[in-house]
Amino acid sequence: MLTDFLQLTVAGLSQGSVYALLAVGLIAVYTVRHVINIAQGEFAMLAGLGSVWLTAAGMPLLLAILVAILSVTLVAIAMDRLIIARVKKLTPLISIILTLGVSTLLQAIMLLAWGPEAKGVPLFPGTNILIGGVSIRSQEFWMIGALVVVGGGIVLFYEKSRWGKALRACAEQPVAARIVGISPVAASVLAFAIAGFVGGVAGVVASPIYLSLWSGGVLLGLKGFVAAVLGGFVSFRAAIVGALLLGMIEAYVAGYVSSGLRDGAAFLILILVLVVRPQGLVLKPTAVRV
Amino acid sequence: MKKSRLRFIAPIAVVTALVLAGCSTSNLGGTAEADPAAEAGPIKIGAVLDVTGVGASLGVPEQNTLNMLAKQLNDDGGIGGRDVELIIIDNQSTEDGAAKATSKLIESDQVDIIIGASRTGPSLAMRPIAEAAKIPMISVAANVAIVEGSEWVFKTAQNDVVVLERILDDAEAKGYTKLALVRDATGFGEGVADYITELGAERGITLVTTEAFEPSATDFTPQMTNVRGSDADAVIIWGINPSAGLAQKAYMQLAVNKPVYHSHGISNQAFFDAAGESANGVIAPMGRLLVADQLAADNTQRKVIEQFQADYNAAYGEQPSGFAGHAFDAWHIAVNAIDAAGTDADALRDELESAEWTGISGVFKMTAKNHSGLDASALILAEAEDGRWNLLKD
Repeated sequence: MLTDFLQLTVAGLSQGSVYALLAVGLIAVYTVRHVINIAQGEFAMLAGLGSVWLTAAGMPLLLAILVAILSVTLVAIAMDRLIIARVKKLTPLISIILTLGVSTLLQAIMLLAWGPEAKGVPLFPGTNILIGGVSIRSQEFWMIGALVVVGGGIVLFYEKSRWGKALRACAEQPVAARIVGISPVAASVLAFAIAGFVGGVAGVVASPIYLSLWSGGVLLGLKGFVAAVLGGFVSFRAAIVGALLLGMIEAYVAGYVSSGLRDGAAFLILILVLVVRPQGLVLKPTAVRV
Repeated sequence: MKKSRLRFIAPIAVVTALVLAGCSTSNLGGTAEADPAAEAGPIKIGAVLDVTGVGASLGVPEQNTLNMLAKQLNDDGGIGGRDVELIIIDNQSTEDGAAKATSKLIESDQVDIIIGASRTGPSLAMRPIAEAAKIPMISVAANVAIVEGSEWVFKTAQNDVVVLERILDDAEAKGYTKLALVRDATGFGEGVADYITELGAERGITLVTTEAFEPSATDFTPQMTNVRGSDADAVIIWGINPSAGLAQKAYMQLAVNKPVYHSHGISNQAFFDAAGESANGVIAPMGRLLVADQLAADNTQRKVIEQFQADYNAAYGEQPSGFAGHAFDAWHIAVNAIDAAGTDADALRDELESAEWTGISGVFKMTAKNHSGLDASALILAEAEDGRWNLLKD
């Protein structure tokens, strides 16, 4: 019994790590630009399929992954400069319609370029281990490790570095930030670069066991969105914890109730949070929203 | 506070509305009487295939096959001097997409016969439309429910029941008495548990646990954890790729350590692409296509299979899958029947009911009662080893 529970927990944590990275990307963009980026999940699929393509063309795995992640980062920056930045009066509604358009466009490009079949990046180096009947796949270490390194790094960046503090200033006091000389253009580019980068990392670490598919980004992005809502769309830490919880709840629901209800669980949580605690897990209800 | 809550909910409501709007589709409805086909002009063959979506690993090779065969046929002068016009519609692996495509083929394209769909669910959605319009339809999917009691619907993939018989015979011979089933949650996996219980009873085999997965699923840990904890002697994984291949991978990585059978839904390269080394040791019943090089020299299917492999490889630079074979058989059965009976729907249907064809998936013998035309002799047992299938038992 305990073995089963731990096995499900491992699966939930590794899946949750992917949601967490996407949530980090969503929050990075939302705090600076107040844009809810529907195309966040597509960044992951783009990086996954791009890596598959590059490795198939003969590029070594590590190089292919790096090239794919950097390319997706550039795509995210281009998305900001060419589309989002062109709109004078950006409301959350317009941002959703715009990014939904980008999401559809990216899906169509992936479908035309790489076909309709799901593909996986080769497994990363490592061995599966078995502890007391609980099997942990090597790729699951990579997924959880990616969250610790990349997700943790971005949290530190926001809290400790000058640039990170500048980004937070843009989020909390946009006018004052501009007065003290923080460039809104640079802040926006940086936020989208972070979104593209974490999306790309999530896409490549998950691809070897969960595969990449042109249409797979929508559901993945929505799971990241649920996690971001758990963080009130402002707190990275709460969103990461929320994402890991979400992954585990999904695994428990699939294991103990029915695998058909797995995706339903995420959206039930979304509805509950929006009705009961729309400010997310951590903010006090009285806190001023930015 | 109130305002901020609204500001948050409004965009979410919009997203939901947009997503729903994208998913919902209006059915054309109505059953316009098909134009009494004039016996002149091009012959129209419609196809509804799962080219994108979860059935893509089936629909793409099927589409390739039909395009290749249509070109070959027209280069050779068509049927009785009439060209063949092939109209393929992608149902996006959805039931409503399949139903809509079928209505369009019948009402606006006025096709003479319809091939498809690739999977059971969409095929079942097409069946009542073809029956109501009285247009012959040949599905390339597996579940016997597609043709049970049908008047106008035929199929070319081997029935799930004969596949299960083949698996259970092998399980009985090996002395397994308790089986676990991990099945596709859509039409393809419907009824499989009941058949195992029913067919297993006479063999002393019981089904101890059943788990299901969506064809779009990527994580199989919960299902495999439950199977690992069961007292089953062997496991049947019943699905199509990539999900069946991913399930197999999870099965090995979670060290379930029981013998495993798959269905004929995995007879393509996509299985090895998704499962990798985890595929080794899998036993599955399938048609003879993937083990053609190991067949007896005098096997009746060998010639047609080798010709098909050569043609397909020349056209697309890869080997055809079992699903390409189902489309190949559907096409030839359709074309032969049109050649013999013309495009009058009633005559064509009657001709299909007596169709005989030595094809890729087996030696077909359709009758008024049996619209599938294949029995257990169409299947062999094969074992996976390092990215290829070894013939175990013909």
